[in-house]
Amino acid sequence: MPTITLDAISKQYSRQATAVQNIDLHIKSGDFMCLLGPSGCGKTTMLRMIAGLEHLSQGRLFIGDQLMDSPADGCFVSPEKRGLGLVFQSYALWPHMTVEQNIEFGLRLRKLPERERRTRTGEVMDKLGIASYAKRYPSQLSGGQQQRVALARMMVLKPKVLLLDEPLSNLDASLRLEMRAELKRLHQAFDTTILFVTHDQWEAMTLATTIAVMSEGQLQQVGSPDDIYARPANRFVAEFIGNPPINQIAADSTLGSRLNSQPDTHMLGIRPEDIHLTQAATPYALPAKVQGIMPTGGSWVLDLETEGQCLQLSTQIRPQVQAGEHTFCQIQPEHLHLFNTDGHRLENTRYGQARIIRNNVSTTTYMHAV
Amino acid sequence: MVGWITTALPNKRGLQLSLKDPATLLGLGLLTTFSYLILAPVISILMDAVNVNFGDSTRIGAEQGSFTLYYLERVFTSPISQRLFWQPLLNTLSVAIGAMCIAMVVGGIMAWLLSRTNLWGRGWFATALIVPFMLPTWTFALAWTTLFKNRSMGGQPGWLESMGYSSPDWLAYGPVPMIFILALHYIPLVILLFGNALRRLDSQLEDSARILGASRSTVAFRIILPLMRPALMSAMVLILADALGEFAVPYILGLPVQYDTLSTSLFRAISSRQTGVASVLAGAIMVLGCITLTIDLYLMREARRFVTLGGKGAMERRRPLGIWRLPATLLAATLFIIGVVLPLLTLFLSTIMRIPGRFHLSNFTLDYWIGTNLNTIALKNGILLTPEFWSATWNSLRIVGTASVCAGLLGLLVGYVVTRTPWRWLASSLRQLTFMPYLVPGIAFAAATLSLFAVQRGPVPALYGTSMILMLALIADQMPFASRAGISAMTQLGKEPEEAAQISGASWLRRMWSIIVPIQKGALVVGIVLPFISGIKGVSLFIILAVPATEVLTTYSLRLVDYNYTQAANAVVLMIAMLAWGGTILTQKLTKTGLAQGLES
Ligand SMILES: Nc1ncnc2c1ncn2[C@@H]1O[C@H](COP(=O)(O)OP(=O)(O)O)[C@@H](O)[C@H]1O
Ligand SMILES: [Mg+2]
Repeated sequence: MPTITLDAISKQYSRQATAVQNIDLHIKSGDFMCLLGPSGCGKTTMLRMIAGLEHLSQGRLFIGDQLMDSPADGCFVSPEKRGLGLVFQSYALWPHMTVEQNIEFGLRLRKLPERERRTRTGEVMDKLGIASYAKRYPSQLSGGQQQRVALARMMVLKPKVLLLDEPLSNLDASLRLEMRAELKRLHQAFDTTILFVTHDQWEAMTLATTIAVMSEGQLQQVGSPDDIYARPANRFVAEFIGNPPINQIAADSTLGSRLNSQPDTHMLGIRPEDIHLTQAATPYALPAKVQGIMPTGGSWVLDLETEGQCLQLSTQIRPQVQAGEHTFCQIQPEHLHLFNTDGHRLENTRYGQARIIRNNVSTTTYMHAV
Repeated sequence: MVGWITTALPNKRGLQLSLKDPATLLGLGLLTTFSYLILAPVISILMDAVNVNFGDSTRIGAEQGSFTLYYLERVFTSPISQRLFWQPLLNTLSVAIGAMCIAMVVGGIMAWLLSRTNLWGRGWFATALIVPFMLPTWTFALAWTTLFKNRSMGGQPGWLESMGYSSPDWLAYGPVPMIFILALHYIPLVILLFGNALRRLDSQLEDSARILGASRSTVAFRIILPLMRPALMSAMVLILADALGEFAVPYILGLPVQYDTLSTSLFRAISSRQTGVASVLAGAIMVLGCITLTIDLYLMREARRFVTLGGKGAMERRRPLGIWRLPATLLAATLFIIGVVLPLLTLFLSTIMRIPGRFHLSNFTLDYWIGTNLNTIALKNGILLTPEFWSATWNSLRIVGTASVCAGLLGLLVGYVVTRTPWRWLASSLRQLTFMPYLVPGIAFAAATLSLFAVQRGPVPALYGTSMILMLALIADQMPFASRAGISAMTQLGKEPEEAAQISGASWLRRMWSIIVPIQKGALVVGIVLPFISGIKGVSLFIILAVPATEVLTTYSLRLVDYNYTQAANAVVLMIAMLAWGGTILTQKLTKTGLAQGLES
């Protein structure tokens, strides 16, 4: 199975508009990689370049060890020859063909005999549960059904690499959950390399084996979901991942200087679930006032005010305080994320201890160096 | 050195990649084709206007092909200029403006009645009153002569004449009937454009003004009229532009009394082989066309500022007409009778009467349709038994049909290139080039085509007299509509269905054939049928470019008019009207879109 290698690729649509800038990325075969970033950051452009629907402006693109696109070498392999699968965000089903004809189209192009076409189409439709709509036209299907047809249309060709552009974003919540599980199952069943684009962090966290976070055309961090969450490489990743978002405290504020004294630190981050309420004044405890309590179904988010700073805390335990009450909160220094003036992560010298404490909670292996 | 290479490479690569890109290659091909079909004729005729033409060198005293102002002077300043240009210009403008004013007033009132009041039979009238727009203009002209023709012309007299009332010349020919007939033709256009704008106008705007205490007339003049102004102006300009190039009506009703318009003057110049003068006249018509349509473009831009209008729920409100309901309905019915029933009935009756205007059973006959051995010099059989009629029908269908299919396909391809090519200039120059014939009235464009293709140029043989030249001119003439239809269809489709096929491994041809064309089937049908209808009833291209061997229905019927075979001419016109009307209805049925939307696009 092939790997995909992006070597310093860039894409400029025009002189002013740079959509993707100098990205190095390696997608291992069999990986389920998720490209995560806010909308407009260049995710679709990346997919389209890998598929060959856009030309690179700079850099080199390999699939396996074959060079696919390289402006410097004057090399470009057209999309129909790359043997990839791509599922569009809008599905792009052909409205004039039935579900069956849509799925069969690629096999026809490959001049497969009728019998084999039938069996392969039937197989894939069974697997995706759309066999009963075989004779319908796309306009007679719901969004979720269309999505599965779009997927089937690519799957039937057994591509080595499957590219998916926000395939779940047009579905309603329950269907999305269902399809998420299905995608994960399909990844194992079909044994393909999948590159999946989304702006939804939970989708990325639950599906991916590796996440690549992008912002404004640049790669921010590549790593396992746990890694990205626990060790955000910079302030963008820290802010983008996590809900409610990470609390940020200026290092030179009163609270900041009480929590941390490591040099070069500009900003401190603390995840809402790493703040705990205590009743008594323990060594790390800070006096805090509860501004508000929001139940979010099984967990609670509290707005606290500590030393003139607003913090959000989230907890799975029903809080024993009322809005307006004074209490104490506790922040372990080893849970702090430290960032320098450029927004890059600084190693927290007390982080090692924290990891040992937390190790029974998350079994993460930090093998993806940033 | 290295720096130079790295900066130079992206452009070179861009060029290389684009030259492998089918859309761009196709675009370059189309650009060449249309430059030849559209741009070259226009340039050629403008050159003819300032260069000494074949046969004029002794008179002008300069060599053929050298620069001269002779033709310009002749048309604009010489003693003969009055007859060649200034009087026809004045006539053209008075007829166009007269027809426009009547059409605006009557059409405006009807539009309001149809869209904003409780007129009886509104739905039915909304369709019925549009019919005159689907009929060729000279249907009315021929009906008019059938009724009012007097002794000053040869041939069969009009009904009035044979009943004993001699109609005066001013009623039978010239500006009065021309204005009346063109007004009848344009009223539906006003109803459509104005009615659409009225329907889009949110009646909550009126209501809110009322609540603030404005009177009815204040609302009409301060709210509705200003908001409707763009639609009004646009309808005015469209009518003016169209009337400038109108040929058939002045040909039938103006020529007998020497009432020339620019298009008939141009026609005279061409038929008397004054190529230079014809070129100048054609150029002048083009300039007038450009001016009016530039104004239109400007007005449309103005109009876009108002597009936020249009709530949904409040639109269906209608004002009760009270005691005016019956008179208003009668008004609409009268318009329908004058605009549709009367002309068609007159034409039909005239084809089954031996002597005009005598309503006696023995005077009725089907001879002019299916008779044999008639007592006439030529045309001894009824029209349906005349081989010339069938060959003209066949020519019409063949020439217009081929041209429409080509135009429809080319339009789709233009849409494909415009939406796909990475070269912006290619997209915009294709868009503008295919729009150009819209600025050039048909008769001027025909003259331009003639000027380019009449003689051998390079490897292209002289095409005059072939059906090829008609097809080429028709294709060019139909491109504005066809390419707009193609561009909007391709824009709506987006790139992704094609890209999905590409990912599945389909080659370019395969994608066009299995994906793009089938998906765009509906748009393609519209892009072919609508040009076909307008081509079938068109006159101005054929009158210049057709020869007896390539005679089509329209020129055949005009020739019959010239020879005073009134019944036969009218029968042919009825057949054309039937084709045009039937085609329109068919398209509407096939595509389930109203004619109104088609016109708006
Ligand atoms: N065809 C195009 N021409 C010009 N700019 C484009 C084009 N496609 C995308 N862009 C720009 O490139 C940037 C990245 O777009 P995209 O890859 O679609 O983002 P995402 O998929 O992450 O939402 C955006 O700023 C977008 O406006
Ligand atoms: Mg996107």
